[in-house]
Amino acid sequence: MSWAQAILLARGASRGWGGICSTALTGAPFSQVPPQAPRGLRCSAAAHNPDSSLVPHPPEPPRRPVKALAVHEELFRPALDGARNKANFVRAVQNFTEYNVHKRGHVDFIYLALRKMREYGVERDLSVYNLLLDIFPKEVFRPRNIFHSIFLHYPRQQECGIAVLEQMENHGVMPNKETEFLLLQIFGRKSYPMLKLVRMKLWFTRFKNINPFPVPRDLPQDPVDLASLALQHMEPDLSARVTTYQMPLLKDSPDAMDPTETHIVGIQSPEQQSALARHDPARPIFVEGPFSLWLRDKCVYYHILRADLLPPEEREVEEIPEEWNIYYPMQLDLAYGRSSWDDYEFNIDEVEEGPVFAICVAGAHDQATLAKWIQGLQETNPALARIPVVFRLSGSSGELLPSSSELEEPPPPPPEGQEEEDSQQRQQQGQS
Amino acid sequence: MSGCGLFLCSVAARFCRAPAAFTVIRRPLLTSPPSRAFAKELFLGKIQKKEAFPFPEVSRDELNEINQFLGPVEKFFTEEVDSRKIDQEGKIPDETLEKLKSLGLFGMQVPEEYGGLGLSNTMYARLAEVIGLDASIAVTLAAHQSIGLKGIILAGSKEQKARYLPRLASGEHVAAFCLTEPASGSDAASIRTRATLSADKSHYVLNGSKVWITNGGLANVFTVFAKTEVVDSDGSVKDKITAFIVERDFGGVTNGKPEDKMGIRGSNTCEVHFENTRVPVENVLGEVGGGFKVAVNILNSGRFSMGSMVAGMLKKLIEMTAEYACTRKQFNRNLSEFGLIQEKFALMAQKAYVMESMAYLTAAMLDAPGFPDCSIEAAMVKVFSSEGAWTCVSEALQILGSSGYARDYPYERLLRDSRILLIFEGTNEILRMYIALTGLQHAGRILTARVKELKRGNVTTIMETVGQRLRDSLGRTVDLGLTGKLGVVHPSLVDGAHKLEENVYYFGRSVETLLLRFGKTIVEEQLVLKRVANVLINLYGMTAVLSRASRSIRLGLRDQDHEVLLANIFCSEAYHQNLFTLSQLDKHSPENLDDMVKKVSQQILEKRAYICTHPLDRTS
Repeated sequence: MSWAQAILLARGASRGWGGICSTALTGAPFSQVPPQAPRGLRCSAAAHNPDSSLVPHPPEPPRRPVKALAVHEELFRPALDGARNKANFVRAVQNFTEYNVHKRGHVDFIYLALRKMREYGVERDLSVYNLLLDIFPKEVFRPRNIFHSIFLHYPRQQECGIAVLEQMENHGVMPNKETEFLLLQIFGRKSYPMLKLVRMKLWFTRFKNINPFPVPRDLPQDPVDLASLALQHMEPDLSARVTTYQMPLLKDSPDAMDPTETHIVGIQSPEQQSALARHDPARPIFVEGPFSLWLRDKCVYYHILRADLLPPEEREVEEIPEEWNIYYPMQLDLAYGRSSWDDYEFNIDEVEEGPVFAICVAGAHDQATLAKWIQGLQETNPALARIPVVFRLSGSSGELLPSSSELEEPPPPPPEGQEEEDSQQRQQQGQS
Repeated sequence: MSGCGLFLCSVAARFCRAPAAFTVIRRPLLTSPPSRAFAKELFLGKIQKKEAFPFPEVSRDELNEINQFLGPVEKFFTEEVDSRKIDQEGKIPDETLEKLKSLGLFGMQVPEEYGGLGLSNTMYARLAEVIGLDASIAVTLAAHQSIGLKGIILAGSKEQKARYLPRLASGEHVAAFCLTEPASGSDAASIRTRATLSADKSHYVLNGSKVWITNGGLANVFTVFAKTEVVDSDGSVKDKITAFIVERDFGGVTNGKPEDKMGIRGSNTCEVHFENTRVPVENVLGEVGGGFKVAVNILNSGRFSMGSMVAGMLKKLIEMTAEYACTRKQFNRNLSEFGLIQEKFALMAQKAYVMESMAYLTAAMLDAPGFPDCSIEAAMVKVFSSEGAWTCVSEALQILGSSGYARDYPYERLLRDSRILLIFEGTNEILRMYIALTGLQHAGRILTARVKELKRGNVTTIMETVGQRLRDSLGRTVDLGLTGKLGVVHPSLVDGAHKLEENVYYFGRSVETLLLRFGKTIVEEQLVLKRVANVLINLYGMTAVLSRASRSIRLGLRDQDHEVLLANIFCSEAYHQNLFTLSQLDKHSPENLDDMVKKVSQQILEKRAYICTHPLDRTS
């Protein structure tokens, strides 16, 4: 023990000096140490810069040579029943601790386990992370004097601990008291994993609810449910109603691939309905899309029904009827308005856009499917039967469009060639 | 709406001529013809002393007459009307209604030549005090004559009056006022009921539904407002509102079942449907297309009586609760010995005193010759008295403790009944808008010239204004002539009078500043308007009590010192309230939290829910 510590202390000190004197030296003397060092010495093989490792980065830059991982890979072989679930994952970890009393190579095992977590679907399970941290031997890596704490003590292990925390962070798992206690036991109060933990505890609570438009963590699998969720996510009016115009055919039915039988889900608010009812039938309205909307890791494509902005000379000036309010005057007969020193309105340059009448999410993005949506809309919007509808669909549906998923933002006008010239007439024929 | 105020006067003048002339004959001239309405002048920082001082009186003969008449009515209400039974059964018994009819209470304001009692507004207010003892009956009667048949009195032709008023006055027919629709509360533009002229132009065909119609199930005569097509002067066809007198016998009139209400359960409120009802052209009330003004006039004229009605109820309530407080013992002391209980009685008495004063002052203004437009005053009486009723009944319940909450006692019924007062005849919020905007419109007209000068940068006007402000800020004493040698207020009320003068003066300044700041966009500043209305209501109340208490002292009426106390309490309280409210109206005032309030409500309404997380929630 004392021997090993002496060596480590010396190494740590020299490394520390190296780090201080010249960044070019970092880690160089130790990079050759084989991962399964004899006598179970745990030391860093990777270059270590404490600051950079605290910055979140994608969870999986495999630092270890892949060959080395083969050592513990067999623990994660599919179980007899072939299921990859939490029980099997826990069993694998337990197997490691049981058969490896000296915990030889536990850092590699933890890295491996971290990579495997997603396969086993336990990447959001706090207890599993605690289990992983529990593999570390206790008390061994705690700094014992001031020099230990000044210079990175057991860098490789600390780094591994940080990797565990980082993966927790990436999956939004909040550490709990047990995590803190484990880290305290393993690395002590003055260590980088502890620092990371403290920062996580501080910032996680503040960032957890920072999104004013939260998306549920587990998205529905059913496309119809997902579509209605996406529509409600986009629609600011809470009175808007989601309508399913067409349910998808069952998967095992032979025509499942028939695009005309996919789901069509639309949303429309009462205000949009009345705006559509007021729309001048002489002006066409447009079906545009598909635009993409990302809900966590799923992408939903939607279409909008919109009209162009009326030219200023044709807009109706909303006038206050003379006999409107029975109880009190709706306007005062004064010659002047609000004085300029009481006008707190900022000078905001607002771009006016044409009205959007409805949104829909459909399984297919062709005109036939969307025409069904329009037909469905006609039931609640009789005025739609008189208004010509032009389909302006951009070519491929599977592609992300440059325009963002914001509803208000109009899509860039598609090239003329894509616009279907005769669709207007066809549509009118179809609807009449 | 621009010329509405003026138009109102003229229309009211035209409509009122017959009955008002009648009143004039009956009543001696007590005041000289008014120059301007009282409340409107307050907006300019002036007090029209002639209007409010001295407190109006009725002649000895009139008083005797009304007291004679009052006796049997009071006896009937205290002895025969079983309010509890009416409330429980949700219906006024037929014999009670018959008795009311025989007492002539269905035609109180119908002119005598048409078989009514032809009471003046003051007399009507006095009678309303007694009628207010049972809210269901009061509402039934008010719906019948304050709004139901008022249209015929105000706007009806001679033939219409002769045809309908006698039977309505005797109670043979009951009237109802049909304005509200499912889609139209105060928004007249969204009235859907439609009247179409038949091909031979002999009658209109009426179609549509009205909701919340008091007396809808009892009434035989309805004042119905419907849209009709009217050819404008420039030849274009427009939809305008027209008032009709509709008899149930015209056919096609049906009503829904009575609504189950929280209070005033004895009154009959239901939906009324008109289906192809044929209304003869002679039954158009007022002009075709002039229904809006008829509706405005009817509604504006009916409000003042709530003041005395509530005051009557409160007087009774004070009696009942005082009896309880003086007999119930706790810790070997009567409840009446506890300060917190005493305070409540003072509050009730004060409210009752103020609303009574306001109501009778307004009634007298309405009775005065010259057809003054007292709609602001009437609205103020309504707002003050309805809110006073609610607070006082609630305080009374506090005094009574659990027995106030029990169904065995009448108090919970009073609470339920008084809640409607804040809602019907125009909600208090809407009436505050009316009070503030009508007054501001008046002030705006007067001030426009001045404001124009200011905006143009006329040096003299600016210097004048700046000088005035400077004097104000240096603490000038305001003297509007209420006190002093020729003062109208009694010296023992000088303190209150000074407070009133100061408030009125600075209110005028504030109004001017507000008009300068907001211009016509003040219509959108509802929180500002609410404050303006609140100050004005307080000012009117102060004027009324000062005037009344001064009169009592001068005449040496019994218990005048009690009145002086009440008047001083109210004036002091109102003064400080006004100071606070006026400071809130200042720009950048720290007391004004409107911005924050608006933000909070916007956020809530965006989510349509209470936003804050639960106090027990945590993030980890």
